[in-house]
Amino acid sequence: MGIALNTLLMLIVAISITGVINRCRAILAGRKGLPFFQHIYNVRLLMRKGAVYSTTTTALFRIAPAVYLGSAIVAILFIPIADLNPLISFEGDVICFAYLLALGRFALILAAMDTGSSFEGMGASREALYGALIEPAIMVGFATLAMFCGYTSFADIFAHEQSFNLHLTIVMLLTAYLFIKIAFVESGRVPVDDPRTHLELTMIHEVMCLDYCGIDMAMIQIAGWLKTASLSMLAANAIAATGCFHWWFATPLAILLTGLSVGVVESTQARNKLVRNTTFIVTISALAALIFFIGYLLQLNINI
Amino acid sequence: MFYLGLLLTLTLLVAALFIAPLRSKIWVAFTTVIIAVAALSYPAITALMTAHPIVLMQAQGPIFGAENLSIDSLSALFLIIIGIAGIATIIYSRGYLAQYLDKKSSVHISLHYAALVIMILSMMLVVMSSGGFSFLLAWELMTIASFILILFDAQRAEVLRAALAYLIMMHVGFIFLVAGFATLHATTGSASFEALPIAFGQGKTILLFVLFLLGFGMKAGLFPMHVWLPEAHPAAPSHVSAIMSGVMIKTGVYGIMRVLWHISNTQELQTIGFIILAVGVVTGLWGVILAALQNDVKRLLAYSSIENIGVIFIGLGIATLGLAASNSIVATLALCGALLHIVNHSLFKTLLFFGAGNLYSQMHSTHLNSFGGVAKSMPVTAILFLIATAAICALPPLNGFVGEFMIYLGMLNSVRDGVNTLAAAGGIIALALIGGIVVFAFTKLYSTVFLGSPRDHHVAEAEEVDNMRLAAMAIPTAGIIIIGIAPQLVIRVLTNIADGLIPSATPIISGYITPTLGRVSLTALLIIIVIALLYMLKSRAQRSRTIEQGPTWGCGFTSPNIRMQYTGESFSENLESITTSLTQNTVEGRAVSKSEIFPSAHNYHVRHKDKIDRLFTEWWVELLRIINKRIMSLRTGKINHYILFALLFLVAIFILSLFNIL
Repeated sequence: MGIALNTLLMLIVAISITGVINRCRAILAGRKGLPFFQHIYNVRLLMRKGAVYSTTTTALFRIAPAVYLGSAIVAILFIPIADLNPLISFEGDVICFAYLLALGRFALILAAMDTGSSFEGMGASREALYGALIEPAIMVGFATLAMFCGYTSFADIFAHEQSFNLHLTIVMLLTAYLFIKIAFVESGRVPVDDPRTHLELTMIHEVMCLDYCGIDMAMIQIAGWLKTASLSMLAANAIAATGCFHWWFATPLAILLTGLSVGVVESTQARNKLVRNTTFIVTISALAALIFFIGYLLQLNINI
Repeated sequence: MFYLGLLLTLTLLVAALFIAPLRSKIWVAFTTVIIAVAALSYPAITALMTAHPIVLMQAQGPIFGAENLSIDSLSALFLIIIGIAGIATIIYSRGYLAQYLDKKSSVHISLHYAALVIMILSMMLVVMSSGGFSFLLAWELMTIASFILILFDAQRAEVLRAALAYLIMMHVGFIFLVAGFATLHATTGSASFEALPIAFGQGKTILLFVLFLLGFGMKAGLFPMHVWLPEAHPAAPSHVSAIMSGVMIKTGVYGIMRVLWHISNTQELQTIGFIILAVGVVTGLWGVILAALQNDVKRLLAYSSIENIGVIFIGLGIATLGLAASNSIVATLALCGALLHIVNHSLFKTLLFFGAGNLYSQMHSTHLNSFGGVAKSMPVTAILFLIATAAICALPPLNGFVGEFMIYLGMLNSVRDGVNTLAAAGGIIALALIGGIVVFAFTKLYSTVFLGSPRDHHVAEAEEVDNMRLAAMAIPTAGIIIIGIAPQLVIRVLTNIADGLIPSATPIISGYITPTLGRVSLTALLIIIVIALLYMLKSRAQRSRTIEQGPTWGCGFTSPNIRMQYTGESFSENLESITTSLTQNTVEGRAVSKSEIFPSAHNYHVRHKDKIDRLFTEWWVELLRIINKRIMSLRTGKINHYILFALLFLVAIFILSLFNIL
């Protein structure tokens, strides 16, 4: 029961975040804006379309969206929602989660290069570098959780409400912040990447899927929602663990946390110059290491 | 007796290879390796399943006294790796050398096969020897044989240079090994590995360990002793690179593990654990960053071997630290991860080099930017290469993931249990960064070579290689898939090896690691099923839609051409911009400058050379030059100066003898 509810709620989170982002942006800009479910209509429209495949591509190009979406689907099955249990859980599943994201990225990079387009090569090269640089942040984030909670699987890390503890609160809030930042990078949002940009030269994620259309494009978009939802849920869980550890708290928190923060950032900030992105992402990794170190000091019970 | 037998066998073997007709030489070599593998497989499997070593024979060497030739579980694992890679290599060599049979003399081919067989046999001897003279002899045989193998294309100047550099560096390492064994013999009266605990008891641990680390590390390609690898591999024929990179460099790891197995003092284990971890982190990061910058298929693969040795050492380091802190779970996880990574790397690296061999034999190039779109002309090679690429990127559901999973889990457990927290966290950061950049390097390699459009007409006209070579490639592929999908079965094989180092490894493996890997295996199956299902659903849905073919979308640009594709160089341009300090670039030709509005034809070629390369060549030469310059200033050409020098010399002798120093 709990597992089914968990999976269902994850899907709701995945669907809602984009809606919240769109609404938030519209309200902040004073526009009427898109309806909440517009992105769902768009995907449904894509699902009904045919496809044009480039003659340069091989079978790999057609399989890649399935790999990308498949890895994202399996990845969300690891994520618990506060007190609910995920479908799959075992010691070390945090590592599986990180590598599933890598699997998806690997497939999409190869697919982009398969078209032989210089634009898509550009996106692929950027995605590969940013993915490589963000990896330490993800793993160190998990190491911080493992150190503080004493487990190496998501389900155990977020298994029970911890009694209020200042040290735990500090570390959990910092980790939540870290995961939100990672979600920004992984889902290709401002300030790293701008999904609304209309110049291919400055795109990252969008330019990789230039040659996709129809169902393939729909699959890639859904996979993107799932990835964002899983990282966002991790952040929400970390916050929920400090006080109100219930699914009815964590679910809306996950939606609003990422939805509002992305919406606000996209409305108020411009994207980075591309050369600044490397610094931005390495800073996130450095931040992760710093959070780990703070956690380490707090665990040694050093008075600060 | 043993040495006489060895000499006789090798002579007979070489004679048989030289006598055999040109096209049957391969079968003589194949039969010899098969006989060796068949003869050793029973004792090896027995040794792997039981905890007791099996003594095959005794060898009485001219120095260091008697040694045993025996198989224990650790040597058995390496024997299996050598056997599998050896058989695959010989099968592969038939197709690869076929094009040389008319060009090279029969003697040349015989010499090559003799060296190949002797190298495989000597690697087997290395892992069976208990140390001392027989070990050094086998080690030297292995070096000489691989030197001859690299020399196959000796008419090319760079091959000669690479082979000589290899020979010299291996002998520098050899000196350290001799020093190590001599120290051991002087302290304990025996030069076998079994005598190590006695020497370690006398406070010589760090000295001996460092000597062996330098000696074995040279073979393994540890930073900064790795510089021979990226030179030797592009020079050697591909099947030779495959066995050298897949197996031979692992004998260095084997040697270090042998030494490590006998250290029991916790304090010293702690120190050595830190050393191994630090060396692993530096080697891994250096290897992977340089790999990502290379634009030559085989050089990229060679750097990636360095990176994988780094990963293995990270695992070993964490295992040693876990052992020092008597945290058996951490130690067992990391050790099993490292051992499995040794097996894994021998599989996918062999496969990758075979793939590079296919490319070279069909298109006579290993330069990334001369390929493109090979997947269309060589589909089977492309699929097998893709499997190996995904495996080396440690992606689930393949074998590379399982090994790194265990090393990660060991480090996460170490962090969780609060033992060596910061060291383990450093390991996590390094391994994560390595993992990320490996994906970068190998997507670059795969996509530039196999995807996109052909950049050269040779590539467009290439054909798939013969079935024999594909069959040879299928051997490692099977291993990659089996270990990836059913790791919980393979891990049992490692139980006895881990037990030799870690007292309570058996219950941990059966009670903790096996069930966890069972879950990993289920996840791997789930991934495959989900992906297959999604793809089927998509294909079904698309059946009722209009599916068209067209040119790649040019973003409004109407005349894109093949030369506009992303090349290897442009793919790694962004990484290069943040790692310029690690390399030294040699540039040929001139790049198109931004002010040229209508650029003319340009020829531009960059090679990212390792800065460490200079450490072994130019820095020393430079130093010698400076010293010589100083000394040369004494040569004034004036007779009175020379008389002064003679006088000073006499005075110096006088003073020294006055103080009884001479």
